[in-house]
Amino acid sequence: MSEKEILQPAMSSAGHVTAARQRAPYLVAFAVLIALTLVEIGVVRSGGVPHRAAVVALIALALAKAALIALFYMHLRYETRILKLTVLGPLVAPAVYALLLMLDAARRHAS
Amino acid sequence: MSGAIASEHGHPTVAWPPDAQYGMATPGKIGMWIFLISDAFSFGGLLIAEGILYAGHQPWRQPGEPRLGIPFTAVLTFVLVSTSLTNVLGWAAAAAGRRRQAALLLGLTALGGVAFLVGQYQEWFGIWGPGLLHEGLVFGQSARASTFYVITGYHGLHVLIGVAYILAILIGYLRGRVTERQIELLGLYWCFVDFVWVFIFSFVYLLPSLSGA
Repeated sequence: MSEKEILQPAMSSAGHVTAARQRAPYLVAFAVLIALTLVEIGVVRSGGVPHRAAVVALIALALAKAALIALFYMHLRYETRILKLTVLGPLVAPAVYALLLMLDAARRHAS
Repeated sequence: MSGAIASEHGHPTVAWPPDAQYGMATPGKIGMWIFLISDAFSFGGLLIAEGILYAGHQPWRQPGEPRLGIPFTAVLTFVLVSTSLTNVLGWAAAAAGRRRQAALLLGLTALGGVAFLVGQYQEWFGIWGPGLLHEGLVFGQSARASTFYVITGYHGLHVLIGVAYILAILIGYLRGRVTERQIELLGLYWCFVDFVWVFIFSFVYLLPSLSGA
């Protein structure tokens, strides 16, 4: 392994480093994040979405936004599979526990 | 290969062999991820506590308590997401050697963080209009109020620390003491603050509002 390789930024490979330096994916991720946020507002304010569907939609939208941030802005997309799993599992687990509780609350509210 | 290589500033840079599982991720990066995972548990615990309290306290919004300002918070969300973008573009600029642009983008990120904090202060206490506190959402008077202030306050503390972190890195970068690696670690922390806010926005603001809270 050469000195140059050692001093490369810490990513899984030099090719991934180059990919991570591209600005376009970050701009696209930003546009999608804003769009998803607007959809969230629309779901809440429209009033026409059934309660249970709205709950599921909001949770799915939150998970999608969080995944975008982690994969693109936090560079997980460019890391090794093991590092992705090491991070994403514990990061998502608390949200899933909370999700189950909120779904339970929504079910109680609907019944 | 192992051992130390002198960096341009004379400090030894510890060489780290590529790992079969973690590639070229440095111990610093893995350490930051471990910290963020443990921090995520803190937020997760708070959100779970809110979920449990929400299930046991209906109606969630007590008489006399105000609704949360979702359009205003959506603007704060936009600000925070924008700072994640400026932060990562700042790292990309630093990695490409565009120092001036990198410094400008990091400065913008810090400014966005300050704007978020000002917005949160307005939401709580009021600056150009009444805050939630004056409108009747008082800490300790309901489960909704207590969880709201604890969760958004804990997140706000992270933003405040993040702004200080950015400024420290920015000053170090301008003095030539900070590398793109350290900016990337900063980016992990800062984007984590945005990551967590996604869930707070949904679980504290949006989901309860479906039930009129």
